[in-house]
Amino acid sequence: MNCPTGKNEVAEILLAYCAHTLSPLQTAEFEIHLKQCADCSRLVAAQKEVWSALEGWTPGPVSNNFDARLYARIAKDQTAPAWQLWLRRIFRPPVPYPLWKSAVPLFAVCALLAVGLAVRMPDSSVLHPQLRADKIDIEKVEQTLEDFDILTPPAQTPAGSM
Amino acid sequence: MEAVASLDQDAELMVRVREGDDVSFALLLERYRGPVVHFLFRMVQNPSVSEELAQEVFLRVYRSRATYEPTARFTTWLFRIATHLALNWMRDGKKEKGQESLDEQAVDGVDRQVRDRQPTIEQEMLYEVKMSEVRQAIEALPAKQRAAVLMHKYEELEYAQIAQALNCSESAVKSLLFRAYESLRSRLAHMAG
Repeated sequence: MNCPTGKNEVAEILLAYCAHTLSPLQTAEFEIHLKQCADCSRLVAAQKEVWSALEGWTPGPVSNNFDARLYARIAKDQTAPAWQLWLRRIFRPPVPYPLWKSAVPLFAVCALLAVGLAVRMPDSSVLHPQLRADKIDIEKVEQTLEDFDILTPPAQTPAGSM
Repeated sequence: MEAVASLDQDAELMVRVREGDDVSFALLLERYRGPVVHFLFRMVQNPSVSEELAQEVFLRVYRSRATYEPTARFTTWLFRIATHLALNWMRDGKKEKGQESLDEQAVDGVDRQVRDRQPTIEQEMLYEVKMSEVRQAIEALPAKQRAAVLMHKYEELEYAQIAQALNCSESAVKSLLFRAYESLRSRLAHMAG
């Protein structure tokens, strides 16, 4: 085995060796190397010391009423008004990195696209002059029909109806 | 992700919680109450705050049961919430306000341990000095390095899980761990022998 000292993988191998997560073959290989390499041996000894020092740090027991307190909070939580639940979802989401955060860049891109399109989008009549012509034609037709109505004399009523 | 759910019993339990099975929630609580409280204790080094934060972790897990999807291992998700709460607490500078006597708690821990083995006063003092150094060494680490070391050493999470919990890449986690252990080696290596 080549000496991993000075290479990126040194710490990874070292950590894995001390955590006993190397495969048996890798462990055997690394142990052969350790016998020949003073630098690696020193590092492993120091890391093992850290490992055992950390193992000695045992926190105290959890309070006996932990569960009771938790279930009381859950019960209180479930009777909270709906508006509080909504506010909580917005401001204190259960997951650390709320979904709305990932939606922000998407929203920003959409907004930029919308602004860009609004600025660059030419008037539709420029693109399609015939549309404007059609519009004018329709207006003309309507005007003509109105004129026609005005000009048309009212129908004569039958004499007997008076 | 069906594959994840089939591999992860805890995720299966959480899926049952989603379906309204409160017994499954009780099982998850039983399984992870200790690890979460201890992780938070080592993070914030304050016993009452660690329990308070752990309550918040489980409360958030319960609240989000309806929208839970087993897209990752349950422990990854759980420690992600715990890490987030601890980092927020540390960032908000609440440490000074709520600092309870950690030494008092630590001595309690020592008392509890040493009563079983009946050590001499000298051994007891030596142990306390050693643990005090360990706590200080951990406390001296930057918050993310501390979280990475605690998840790696005590919770035995994989690099990928720690990366998800800390919302960074696996290579960033390795870098955090290497630097953290380097600091710890320089602070604690003298304990040899």
